[in-house]
Amino acid sequence: MPFVGEILKYRSVSIVGLSKNAGKTECLNYIIRRLPLDYFNVAVTSIGIDGETTDQVTGTAKPEITVREGMFFATSEKHFRQKRPLSELYAVSDEDTALGRVVTAKALQEGKVLLSGPSSAAALKRWMRSLKDFGIDLILIDGALSRLSTASPAVSEAMVLSTGAAYSANIRELVGKTAYVVELIRLPQYAGPEPGLRVSSFSSLDAGTLKAHPVIEVEGALTDRLLQMVRQGSGEEEVELVVGDFTKVFCSQELYRAFIRRGGRISVRMKSELLAVCVNPKAPNGIVLDSDILCRELSQRIGLPVYDIVKNEYEI
Amino acid sequence: MKFREIVESPCGIRYLFDELGLQSGYARKVLLDREMMIDSDQIDAAYARLRTYFNLVVSDRRRAEDMRFRLQGLRDISGTLSALAEGATLDEIEFFEIKHMAMLAEKLSDATYLDSVIGILDPDGLKIGTFYLYDSYSVELRRLRAAVEIDPDDAQTQELLVNEEDRLKKVISDKLRPYARQLSETLREMAELDISLALAVQMHAEGLEIPSSGTETKISGMFHPGVRAVLRTKGREFQAIDFAFKRGEPATVIGANMGGKTVALKTLCMLQYLYQFGFGLPVASAVMTPFDDIRFCIGDEQDEKTGLSSFAAEMQRIDRAVAAVERGGSVLLLVDEPARTTNPVEGTALVSALLELLADKPNLALVMTTHYTVEHAGRCWRVQGLLPGSKGRTMDYRLVPTTSHEVPHEALNIARELGIDPRWIELADTIMKRQYE
Repeated sequence: MPFVGEILKYRSVSIVGLSKNAGKTECLNYIIRRLPLDYFNVAVTSIGIDGETTDQVTGTAKPEITVREGMFFATSEKHFRQKRPLSELYAVSDEDTALGRVVTAKALQEGKVLLSGPSSAAALKRWMRSLKDFGIDLILIDGALSRLSTASPAVSEAMVLSTGAAYSANIRELVGKTAYVVELIRLPQYAGPEPGLRVSSFSSLDAGTLKAHPVIEVEGALTDRLLQMVRQGSGEEEVELVVGDFTKVFCSQELYRAFIRRGGRISVRMKSELLAVCVNPKAPNGIVLDSDILCRELSQRIGLPVYDIVKNEYEI
Repeated sequence: MKFREIVESPCGIRYLFDELGLQSGYARKVLLDREMMIDSDQIDAAYARLRTYFNLVVSDRRRAEDMRFRLQGLRDISGTLSALAEGATLDEIEFFEIKHMAMLAEKLSDATYLDSVIGILDPDGLKIGTFYLYDSYSVELRRLRAAVEIDPDDAQTQELLVNEEDRLKKVISDKLRPYARQLSETLREMAELDISLALAVQMHAEGLEIPSSGTETKISGMFHPGVRAVLRTKGREFQAIDFAFKRGEPATVIGANMGGKTVALKTLCMLQYLYQFGFGLPVASAVMTPFDDIRFCIGDEQDEKTGLSSFAAEMQRIDRAVAAVERGGSVLLLVDEPARTTNPVEGTALVSALLELLADKPNLALVMTTHYTVEHAGRCWRVQGLLPGSKGRTMDYRLVPTTSHEVPHEALNIARELGIDPRWIELADTIMKRQYE
């Protein structure tokens, strides 16, 4: 039963897919099936409705999560009314989302639910705090499509990443793109003295300023524009950029690599815990990659175990 | 006039609203929708209620905080309750809302009917705030649920179960319906409780007082909480001010620049609103009198947004106020330095004429600050002004009644205190002496 034991060490874990149909829902269901609920109170929710509306567009199956008896879940009023097992209502939030308020309930039997929780990272954090009276040990968050913000260590303590053929149908490219995200997730924690210069993506920096400051704090997003400016301005000098966390890095892989090659460093204020990487070798357009090769190549590249949880139905 | 309409008034009442620690968004909504009171009996009753909560906050802070903590759970379920009253069949989420509110209210009010409501939504007597369609609502429900659990794919039983659940929702709704009106009242009371407790806590924290009602306004030791907060960040204190005015007797306030005339006028306006919305007052003590209409004429940045020159905006605003006075009903009119942006010759004429026009209006209380020397039959107050102190001359912001309507000539002295280039100021002094000799 790979990595589920790891999850139990944290109070909140987000499951994030690098693209639609990357196997995130299977991954979440895989985890839920294996949780020791007898002595563990678990709540599950998702952020926003991104995945939901996209599903309605492409016509693929809606992401349904199977909750087990005794589990808490949070979803919108609309989805709560639409589909759920017999559930006991615990709370109705004060905040409205596009699908109504967020309802928190405890499943009294196993069954499928449509998850559509709080609509922003801030609302999600408020919901997580509101759970304190219910004795929850672990919160699982279904991160919305290409919204890594849920995986921010400011929201959840640890994360599971799912990637797959839907992200890229070429193994080499898929491994490269996934490895880049993994590299960002594992950016080191900044440990030096307070940086003397703080910049934002709107700042303009001249070479003189950059040369005087080998360590620069980046407020908000690290964009291509900002990275380019730092790269050009600092010349041959080594420079370290400090960002809030990996979700604030929005620069292209090419530029990032060029910056690192020149001796640049990027570190984070808050480091993320990556617990596992799951792959889905099947894409919705019918392409199926070789699961074993994919797992092996990706694992070698990132130095972490990689799981195809659909193919290898690991024991419960 | 709703609170919502005056919360952005340039008098600065927003500060106290922002600092008000309301526990629920619903109470905030109720407060913003509150109508201004114009009847002194109604105001006195509101203050009597506020006083009991203030006493509670002072004598038993723990209990007050416990009540406030509970009120965090208050939700606006007025929509659900209206639907119930109108005959709708509610669902689990709505039953949960009602149960949640009834259990909250039971802890905070002595309404006896709440027991019956909770009884309907807690058939097993569990006394917990959660809800689902409990098995004990019907034998049939229990039987069908058991059958579905054994064979989840049996569509026929599934359908029977859904039908039975729908029937029970209707039964429960029908049982709750007679209480819908009372529940709406209780919901409203909970919001009022949240507001009263927040006001009482604010009175305690900011040192606010409950005024009494009378026929003339008499204020002692007033201060502007927002300005005081700013001064305190600079290590300074707000100097408390006394003031009085009444209907039929126009009052002007004259005095030096930087003497706090505008702040005093803003404070008067805020006090009037606070009084008529039943808030604690930033005073040592006060006798207040309600007005049907409160008009505050002060230039603000809104004028620029609407594209009017400040003179045009001001003239129109005062014109509307005069029309309101003509219509009857009691009016409090507070005017800050009218016609100050025009030349002193016409300005003085405009202000004198305004005072003459508004003299002998028994329905009007007028307080006006001005830089112009204007004779009128009403009362005149002046800022105490620069007084010799231990560290040079300091500003005394107190307002004192004066019989001379001649505005004090302190601008040059103040400019000297500000360290303005003496060549300029002394030349001005020479020119002025030449003119007046």
